[in-house]
Amino acid sequence: MPLGLRSGFAVDIAVRVLLFAFIGVAWNLMGGYAKQLSLGHAAYFGLGAYTSTLLLIKFGISPWIGLVAGGIVAMLASLPIGWLCFRLRGPYFAIATIATAQVFMLLFLKFRDFAWGAEGTTIPFLGNAPLMMQFSGKAPYYYIALALLVLGLVITYTIERSWMGNYLVAVGEDEDAAEAVGVNAPRIKRDIYLISAFLTALAGTFYVQYIYFIDPNTAFSFNVSVEAALVSIVGGIGTLWGPVLGTVLLEPTSALLQSWLGASHGGVQLTVYALILMAVILWRPTGLLGLLTDAYHKLVRRDG
Amino acid sequence: MHITSWCAEMAEALVVRNLEKRFGGLRAVGDLSLTVAEGETLALIGPNGAGKSTSFNLITGYFRPDSGSVTAFGRELVGLAPYDICAHGLARTFQVARPFGKMTVLENVMTGAFLRDKKVRVARERARDAIAFVGLSAKERTAARDLTTIDQRRLEMARALATEPRVLLLDEVMAGLNHTEVDQAVTLVGQLAQRGLTIVIVEHVMRAIMAVARRIVVLDHGQKIAEGTPQEIVANEDVIRAYLGTGAHG
Repeated sequence: MPLGLRSGFAVDIAVRVLLFAFIGVAWNLMGGYAKQLSLGHAAYFGLGAYTSTLLLIKFGISPWIGLVAGGIVAMLASLPIGWLCFRLRGPYFAIATIATAQVFMLLFLKFRDFAWGAEGTTIPFLGNAPLMMQFSGKAPYYYIALALLVLGLVITYTIERSWMGNYLVAVGEDEDAAEAVGVNAPRIKRDIYLISAFLTALAGTFYVQYIYFIDPNTAFSFNVSVEAALVSIVGGIGTLWGPVLGTVLLEPTSALLQSWLGASHGGVQLTVYALILMAVILWRPTGLLGLLTDAYHKLVRRDG
Repeated sequence: MHITSWCAEMAEALVVRNLEKRFGGLRAVGDLSLTVAEGETLALIGPNGAGKSTSFNLITGYFRPDSGSVTAFGRELVGLAPYDICAHGLARTFQVARPFGKMTVLENVMTGAFLRDKKVRVARERARDAIAFVGLSAKERTAARDLTTIDQRRLEMARALATEPRVLLLDEVMAGLNHTEVDQAVTLVGQLAQRGLTIVIVEHVMRAIMAVARRIVVLDHGQKIAEGTPQEIVANEDVIRAYLGTGAHG
């Protein structure tokens, strides 16, 4: 087992950490660097999940192809959604994006003939079939999630180092001032939304293949949207490693709390989440990464 | 005769014709026409609320005029977005400096430089030139939000210059500066004019205007009330009335 994780529970937590870190990284490209705070990324998570599942069950197409197809569907969906929502700024933008994810959830709940409606469906188990993204052990899932996260980080790193990273931060800091020096703000926002939606959809496909089940409430869950934003904000918004750091703190905490207290004290882990978020926003708006950077600078100054 | 008028036409950098903008019942800019020759420094002055900043916003695409036209080097600008207008060679600064706070000085100016070249290495080089020109090289790695007011204005100027403009529109870059700082700013603007840059400057500091402008346009209540050399303007009755009220000469 990877990293010497022995129990299935530990591997499950590791997979979830990697997956949500990846979703956070995808969200952070747009929400962090360009400060377009979307709370509707579940729309793309769900579209990715449904596209690949429909292709698999109705046409027998491998989820590996469905993975890319779902990404493309999410990109196409992000165009009209962005066209509408980017007219709004700040909190109004966030609220509008929440609505988009909810609309997709309702569509998939109501159109039962198209995609199983509210009951959802289980993914047929084929045994160990790597070409169909199905494995008997948990380790392969761990490595796929790791690969996704590395992909997200490489893309973020490349963008951060290029003119695009500069333009995104400029738009996030002051859109009017950015346009004054030639930044085509609508275009750069559209482009980063395309990339962010594509990556989020990959996570959706993977998640459904991992849990062998899909329904509208799982695929378009508001929790996914919130988690994506939360791990980035807690870890350090608009930084390469912020979402990873945030997930490493939040996800195991949530999983452990849920397994210890979930049955008897439902909602406890949500309360802890809320407290962590409030603490970060109040005391450390730059997130954990900001905290570590400050500490490092203090240490260096003392040595020098 | 023919040739000279043709030359004059070609030498016009910025032509504003019958520009009009209303906000509800308020006529912010009314029937404004002005021409800026290539290489000229023109000052736009007037009391508070005269429509100077609104005119800037109309010219640079932040507001859409109700009627009228703006052409730069022969091309119509009305209807274009601010970034297109910037790409066309018009760069502006804002009345209140608007740096990208969490970026360093260098990153701020590189944002401007990326307009002409997307390669990081090239943009960094050009940004450094602009930063050196405004005298901020020592603070290249300082976060923009930690700069003093004058340094933020310098930064904003460097960022605009990095877009390699042909026309530079400066909105009150000298407001709030002390005596020495105004002198420094005047020198900077003078150097830019010497490089052949066309400059439109909105300013309240009269000493600075007298030093940099070759021609002045005076606005009051959104209308042009006078136009001429600095010497003509200080002697103009309408201008004195606009600034001091009718009682002054009563």
